[in-house]
Amino acid sequence: MEPDRSNPHSNAVARLLTYAIVAVWLTVLAALALVWHVSPAQAQQAQDSSLPPTNFGAAENGHSWPKTIAPGFARAAIAINPSAPAARPIGEKTCIGCHSLESSNFAHTVHALGLKAAAQANANAPTCEVCHGAGSTHAQQPTVKGSIISFTKNSGTPVKVQTETCLSCHEGGPRNHWLGSVHQRFDLSCSDCHNPMAKFSAEGLQARQSISETCAGCHRDVRVQFNRRSHMPLPEGAMTCADCHNPHGSVTAALLKTDTVNETCYQCHAEKRGPFLFEHPPARDNCLNCHNPHGSNQSTLLVAPVPFLCQQCHTHVRHPNDLQTPQSLGGSLHPDERIMGRGCLSCHAQVHGSNNPSGARFHK
Amino acid sequence: MSTRRCNSIRSIPVGSAVAVVLALAAQSAAAQDTGMGTDLNFGTKLDPSGWSSLYGCSDAGTSWLTPFEHRTPTGYLYHCPPPQPQGKAIGEWLYSGTVSLGYLGVGGSNEANANWQRYSDWDDGFILDLAHLSAVRPADGSYVDFRGSRLGDDNQFYKFTGGRAGSYRIEAFYREIPNVVSANARSIWDGIGTDHLTLAPGLVPAGSTPAQVAAVSEAAPERRLQVTREKAGVGINYYFNTRWTGMLNLSNEDRKGARPYGGPFFFNFPFPANGGILEVPRPINDSTTNLNTALRFVGSLWRSEFAYSGSFYRSKYTGYDYQMPFGLYPVIPGAASAQLTLGQFSSEPDNDYHSLRVNVSRRLPMNGDLSVTASASRMRQNDDLLAPINCQGSFGIDLSPTGAPVNPYLFNCADWNTTAALSRRTGDLTIDSQMLFARLVLQPAMAVTLRADAKFRKEDYQGNYIAYNPLTGDYGYIAENGAQGSVVPGEIGFWNAVTAPSNITRFRNVLLDKSIAEAHLGADWRLDNYNTLGATYGFTRTDRDHREREATDDNELRLTWVNRRIDWLTLRANYTYLRQTGDPYNLDPYEYTFTTSLPGYVPGAEFPHTVADMRKYDVSSRTQNKFELMGNAALGDEMTVNLSLKGDFNDYDARIGRQGYDVFSTTLQWEWQPSPDTVTSIYYGYERARIRQVNVNEGATTEADDPVLGGASYPLAGLWWADDTQTNHNFGATLDRKIGRARLEASWNYTNSRGVTGYSFASATALAYPDVADLTGNEFPAMIYKVNALNVGIRYPLSANVSVRLFDYYERGTLRDWHYLGFDQTRVYDHRVYTDGGPQDYSDNLLGLTFEVRL
Repeated sequence: MEPDRSNPHSNAVARLLTYAIVAVWLTVLAALALVWHVSPAQAQQAQDSSLPPTNFGAAENGHSWPKTIAPGFARAAIAINPSAPAARPIGEKTCIGCHSLESSNFAHTVHALGLKAAAQANANAPTCEVCHGAGSTHAQQPTVKGSIISFTKNSGTPVKVQTETCLSCHEGGPRNHWLGSVHQRFDLSCSDCHNPMAKFSAEGLQARQSISETCAGCHRDVRVQFNRRSHMPLPEGAMTCADCHNPHGSVTAALLKTDTVNETCYQCHAEKRGPFLFEHPPARDNCLNCHNPHGSNQSTLLVAPVPFLCQQCHTHVRHPNDLQTPQSLGGSLHPDERIMGRGCLSCHAQVHGSNNPSGARFHK
Repeated sequence: MSTRRCNSIRSIPVGSAVAVVLALAAQSAAAQDTGMGTDLNFGTKLDPSGWSSLYGCSDAGTSWLTPFEHRTPTGYLYHCPPPQPQGKAIGEWLYSGTVSLGYLGVGGSNEANANWQRYSDWDDGFILDLAHLSAVRPADGSYVDFRGSRLGDDNQFYKFTGGRAGSYRIEAFYREIPNVVSANARSIWDGIGTDHLTLAPGLVPAGSTPAQVAAVSEAAPERRLQVTREKAGVGINYYFNTRWTGMLNLSNEDRKGARPYGGPFFFNFPFPANGGILEVPRPINDSTTNLNTALRFVGSLWRSEFAYSGSFYRSKYTGYDYQMPFGLYPVIPGAASAQLTLGQFSSEPDNDYHSLRVNVSRRLPMNGDLSVTASASRMRQNDDLLAPINCQGSFGIDLSPTGAPVNPYLFNCADWNTTAALSRRTGDLTIDSQMLFARLVLQPAMAVTLRADAKFRKEDYQGNYIAYNPLTGDYGYIAENGAQGSVVPGEIGFWNAVTAPSNITRFRNVLLDKSIAEAHLGADWRLDNYNTLGATYGFTRTDRDHREREATDDNELRLTWVNRRIDWLTLRANYTYLRQTGDPYNLDPYEYTFTTSLPGYVPGAEFPHTVADMRKYDVSSRTQNKFELMGNAALGDEMTVNLSLKGDFNDYDARIGRQGYDVFSTTLQWEWQPSPDTVTSIYYGYERARIRQVNVNEGATTEADDPVLGGASYPLAGLWWADDTQTNHNFGATLDRKIGRARLEASWNYTNSRGVTGYSFASATALAYPDVADLTGNEFPAMIYKVNALNVGIRYPLSANVSVRLFDYYERGTLRDWHYLGFDQTRVYDHRVYTDGGPQDYSDNLLGLTFEVRL
């Protein structure tokens, strides 16, 4: 007899709303708790004078801004260039005198949109110098390296200064673990992957036309794995490296966006989450025990051909531990289901786990 | 059979979803980037970026001050920026847009080929190649942006983004992605895509011969099996003020279709004209709703984030059934098998997932930073369970034709075909996880960075399940839809203290609790302006319940080096040494789940669980040596050469099991950008991966319970070795060249993968079929995946606002997979029925003509 299917679950929309509201309130409550315990004002007062300021916080004093101005750009301050401590602001028009084409390209970016809107509200609001620092030294000696914060190779601006400049606005969130991350330790700059001076990509101000192509600049060996027989739809534009990885740093060594490999896979393969009545331990432990996520010449991203993949662990007597040879393939002397087609998975189809009471061996 | 009583989240209309988000937006908010979830790229195979093909490259380049492009700090040349149209004004708004419409013609030797169609679903017809519409209001930084593409019914996306720079951002999208898993499926079942797969006309459940099944299979038209993902989502990011931001994203994805799967009715290989191995086209019909929301604070000293993620998976079907074409016969002469007509699978259970995460970070003196992250999550399912079997009448072996006085191997379906035969009727399983992570970074001097981090993560698995039938008092289950016990007496799958006290079978699930504690300590030292050295020591302890090793310890040392001594060269190198050790290896941690552990079990014929020298590779002791070298050379103002070398060599302490897994790869890239008019690149990639493994077959006549390698059960004569080597060559080139008013874009990608599985054996005892020992050779035919892809397009401006683009995409594939050898002759081998014919060669072409209109 089949399970009773006549009673629909409780209204799913209502349930989803409940979940959402609970989640929102939890986050609000948690935020309030933090604010109460650690007042930002108190925190900022306690700031060590040796710490670099953030642009958002640095401009709290002084200007009176209309509340209609977008907070993300209204208080943007001039970046600090340690290599040109005496430099003074010169304003966007002076910059454009030489950099008109740069300005024209930049105009199509979201940075330009926000900064110029802020500048319209307050003529003193900086634009170019928010990222490049005060420009007077550079204007006087344009060929002196380091006289302006620049984000290119051999520009004279240390990578550390480059990244700190970007992080002065973009700190936190996905970039929270930048310091100490593998890319930071290898001296990568934000501008290795991003180019905010023009709209090279649909979103994200990437240095190349997409996230995947940007990553491929250094990780071509990984990118070409996606050209193999089984692959996720990255070459087809349906996903990108950043769907699984956070290149800015994370709590995992592989820069995964979630806490574990499996959690990352479950983002798109939620059916594999289970839990299952009968689990396959290595599958629950780590999807990468059997799959190569970047591409494989086997079917379904497997790291080795079935049955040899399975036979790395299974040597039980009777049927799993025989050495199969081409004589067991279709059209040969001894066609054998243990190697033809899906091989082991022809019978043990529920290898990711079975929710069937008769699925102890993943048959059902 | 089994439409779920819950599929309601799946059916949430997009409108409702939008309403939910907008309603919540009043009290929540978000930042430009959540760091959570997927759907970060919307593109197609014609333009994976989903954008750049509309704009190409600006003649002017980046700067009037230099004819060449700048380089990234690593040394890559930035590409020339795309030309951006000047917006046209409507009131305060400036709008622009480009729409590319046209026609695709598809032709070739095998247009339906699965590899060709995989995620594309190519077909003749009119297409919306790409559309991009945008508008901005400079006065306050408001913007709207839309991109869309429709290359086929199942291959399309539409993405809307709007907001105000630095204030808020709203997104909404809809996308469909096909996944063609087979294009040459021959199904003997009707009802593909549903939860009832019935045999095609001409076949009788449990009453068809292999010849009849083969005839139906051969007569069945080749068809496509495809799973389509259809997803819609909305999201909002919002800056409350300079410090507080928030975000909320909601999406729903439906998957529909079918794909090849299994279908067991016991072995065929030892029992000619018996058993059944059926590759059924299983239905996929499910949905997943995801909700991500977070609130973030960023100040000069403190940073924090509070986040919630939820995922709700629903499958339309609790399970699905399929008819069995073949009859079964017992191994007892004169007896009869109860004929089984129906097989069954459970679908993946509906599940709910909730995750809460809190992060608090603080800047410290000495340019330091301390970050602490805590998270807690719950995965839970309480889905309805199916009955152990779905037969009617009886199953097992009927001895009455032999005149036997008793009939101990024949069983009533009614005792097992309802959920009354279960110890509980729902899954009721939960995995709770908690994680605490902390990282401290200090820079006590300009040249020195000290790093330390620690992480503890725990998974508590809850939900003991005992496979016990209160109707019969049996422990266990029904193996392979009842087929196993209908062929071999006593192998039905359950144990009974009275009627079957020596049966060995599983009667409970395994709870896989796990915890990981890890810590790293490292330092980076900037020797001078050109060299940075780094060293990190890491230790990880992983405790796993009910695994062969309760604890494994990883000790890892990692060294890094960055060199910029030569101003045109950037070198990055790292080396990692890792040693994994652990507790004593328990060859059978699952003993407690078998009936041998039940009181009342009477020892009978027993076999070893596995050979004592087996070491499963995920918990085996292992030594890893891994290195990576990346060099980036900026050659003059126009060229860049990039070379990478990687090696990852793993030796496992295993006499039986995986002994080695080595990967070596190298990549060489060359890019040349003499001017914005010409951009070209070439790359070559090579990778060789090798897995070495050892296994041992039991002696032909031995039925001893001796796990020792070289003992009675596992004689040394049964040893065999396998060596799988995958060799990959990748070539590619791109050219983007302006020729007069026209622009030529071309790319070529070539993948040549060859996998060879070689083997050797101690004696014929190792073989599945010792009688062919002299014929069996030492390797399988090569697995080949060779794909040549050439894309050439030319764009010509007809006027200031209209361009025509003619392009051709040609792809030729050569695919060999020995699993499917002989399937071109028949898909039916005795009682084995295969639906998928396996990968096939193809040579297909796509010709497109599009008109790009700038608004």
